[in-house]
Amino acid sequence: MIELFGVTKRFGGETAVDALSLRVEKGEVCVLVGTSGCGKSTTLRMINRLIEHDGGEIHLEGAPVRSFDEVTLRRRIGYVIQSTGLFPHWTVARNIGLVPRLLKWPRARIQERVEELMQLLGLPVREFAGKYPRQLSGGQAQRVGVARALAADPEILLMDEPFGALDPLTRQSLQKELQELQARLHKTVVFVTHDMDEALALADRLVVMRKGRIVQQGRPIDLLHDPADEFVESLLGGMDRGLKEAALTRVSERMLPLGPRLLASERIPYAAPLSQALSLMLWHRVERLTVVDDEDIPVGELSLRRLLGGKTS
Amino acid sequence: MESGRRVPNRVLLALMLAGLLAWLALDAVSLAPNRIVPGNSYRAFEIGGGWPALAMTLPMLVVAGLAWRPSPQTLRLALWSVLALLVLLPWWLVAASASLVEPEMPQARIGIGVSIWLLLFVWLLTLIELRTRLGLPRQLGWLLLLPVLASWWVALVWWLEPLSLYREYQARSDQFLAAVTTHLALVGAAVLASLVLGALLALAMRRHPGVRRAGFGLLNFLQTVPSLALFGLLLAPLAWLGARFDALAAIGVSGIGWAPAFLALLGYSLLPMVRNMYVALEEVDPAVIESAHGMGMNRRQVLLQVRLPLALPIVLEGIRITTVQAIGLTAVAALIGAGGLGTFVFQGLGQAAMDMVLLGALPILGLALVADAAISALSERLRPGGAA
Repeated sequence: MIELFGVTKRFGGETAVDALSLRVEKGEVCVLVGTSGCGKSTTLRMINRLIEHDGGEIHLEGAPVRSFDEVTLRRRIGYVIQSTGLFPHWTVARNIGLVPRLLKWPRARIQERVEELMQLLGLPVREFAGKYPRQLSGGQAQRVGVARALAADPEILLMDEPFGALDPLTRQSLQKELQELQARLHKTVVFVTHDMDEALALADRLVVMRKGRIVQQGRPIDLLHDPADEFVESLLGGMDRGLKEAALTRVSERMLPLGPRLLASERIPYAAPLSQALSLMLWHRVERLTVVDDEDIPVGELSLRRLLGGKTS
Repeated sequence: MESGRRVPNRVLLALMLAGLLAWLALDAVSLAPNRIVPGNSYRAFEIGGGWPALAMTLPMLVVAGLAWRPSPQTLRLALWSVLALLVLLPWWLVAASASLVEPEMPQARIGIGVSIWLLLFVWLLTLIELRTRLGLPRQLGWLLLLPVLASWWVALVWWLEPLSLYREYQARSDQFLAAVTTHLALVGAAVLASLVLGALLALAMRRHPGVRRAGFGLLNFLQTVPSLALFGLLLAPLAWLGARFDALAAIGVSGIGWAPAFLALLGYSLLPMVRNMYVALEEVDPAVIESAHGMGMNRRQVLLQVRLPLALPIVLEGIRITTVQAIGLTAVAALIGAGGLGTFVFQGLGQAAMDMVLLGALPILGLALVADAAISALSERLRPGGAA
């Protein structure tokens, strides 16, 4: 659990973070989102004391971060940044094993942990362990970055626009992998981004920041339905909000059991988002889809009316 | 092969043309009956009926012809031809000395003329051009020079006794060895000391901006003082120190000798060393440093495990520049009695004996080239992220 109480940071005359209070529950993914210069990165870096706060208090599991030695503190917190910050003169395996080595784990345990993480992040050990960072693609390098952050199994993970420099396809697949990882690991994650789609996809708690303050926070779906002001609304996509909401809802939430009618010819997986169902309907000019499970076996159907939220089929 | 790739290699053609002209028109060797009397100069074709000179001309014509229609095969052939030329040149000298030196002239000296120096220069340039064109690794280039050096050495030791350069060497071979040792010791000490001092200074400069400004100011100023003047300036204070403290005098500190030479060399060596060290430490990717801190490395670990290894190539570059510069500057130190190869240069100048000047200057050149190549190779090897 991370708590910020009235935290303030000034750079010269500028107030970067202004009396900000925030509570991130254990196992929660909290996404800080806002335009550049809104203080989201500064907030993140005050948690592991890469930047010292000027006012207020930051607590980790109830204890102020200043009560820890800063080096000890950081070894307990995973940290991922946009440009990966991998050490160019170390191999992938050595990069991943950095924190365990700082913590003086026995050599065999480090190696075991490194291989475990490489498998977890889809980096075949034999292929990648001996490679150097410059031999990796952007996506591979960021996977190594995430593995390095997870190496000593920290409770808390801080991620500063980790996927910001990647192409859209790689970014989406890494977002998905992060979701799957989180479903297994239940870390407390603070994630900074300016990409609203990324924020909506990943957040348990979405925090919209502006000029060093929190404008609104809550579940993504609640913010979509009820934005606090025009700024939040425009950040959430203005007229596109309907599609963003549809992207957050799964087909399985709206589908009906198979009826007596013939199966519709177009199929959609039950885990797909509504936005994808709508796109399929628009593309094939149909009003009904057959919902299938992982084995492509029909389990229900989805009509345009149900998709829009109507009560009947 | 398609015609587009077969454009004449102008560089090779020009070099060969220059070589041929020098060979035809300029003096190749001179013959003097002894060290005092000035000798007569001869062009290559005036010796031995011109046949030996003609034999040297042919490979050059071959290279020029191959350069007209370059392809990997012809260029490789050209490379072998140039190497052959370099291997043959001492034997041409052997032939020339055999035909010029009469048995009744035991003190006769063969001097190497302009033409030969030019040829050596041109051929080495040709080798570099061919090595680059063929994409051969640098190390291989050095390996190719081994047979050339072997050929020169064999010719010198057994057949080229009248060569004036060799006679100068023979007259003072012990002195020569001592001079090389002194030279290397001075350079080594200056580079090592500047490395240690430079590292400390660079670290202090990173901590304190005040030290940085003052330090760079002083070092830049030192660099502008002419070397001879610096030696002169050190003369008085060191002489005073030597006279005042017996312990210092006992280890040889005085106004002249190794002490002022070492200090001046150190002064000159510090600027390139500190500048490279400082830049190297400063230029490491900030994201890498931030993540190092973010992962929980302490300052010492960041410096020793991240900053220094990543800075190493630029630091080595500093060592390379410093070493090459110090090898040259140490020659001047001979003027204040520090010894080294410069002794021959200045003695030779004083006696108007150009061969003696060369006896000092050529090894200095060779040392500088070898140091340069060796440190470059080392820094290539140590590049972070693996060289492969």
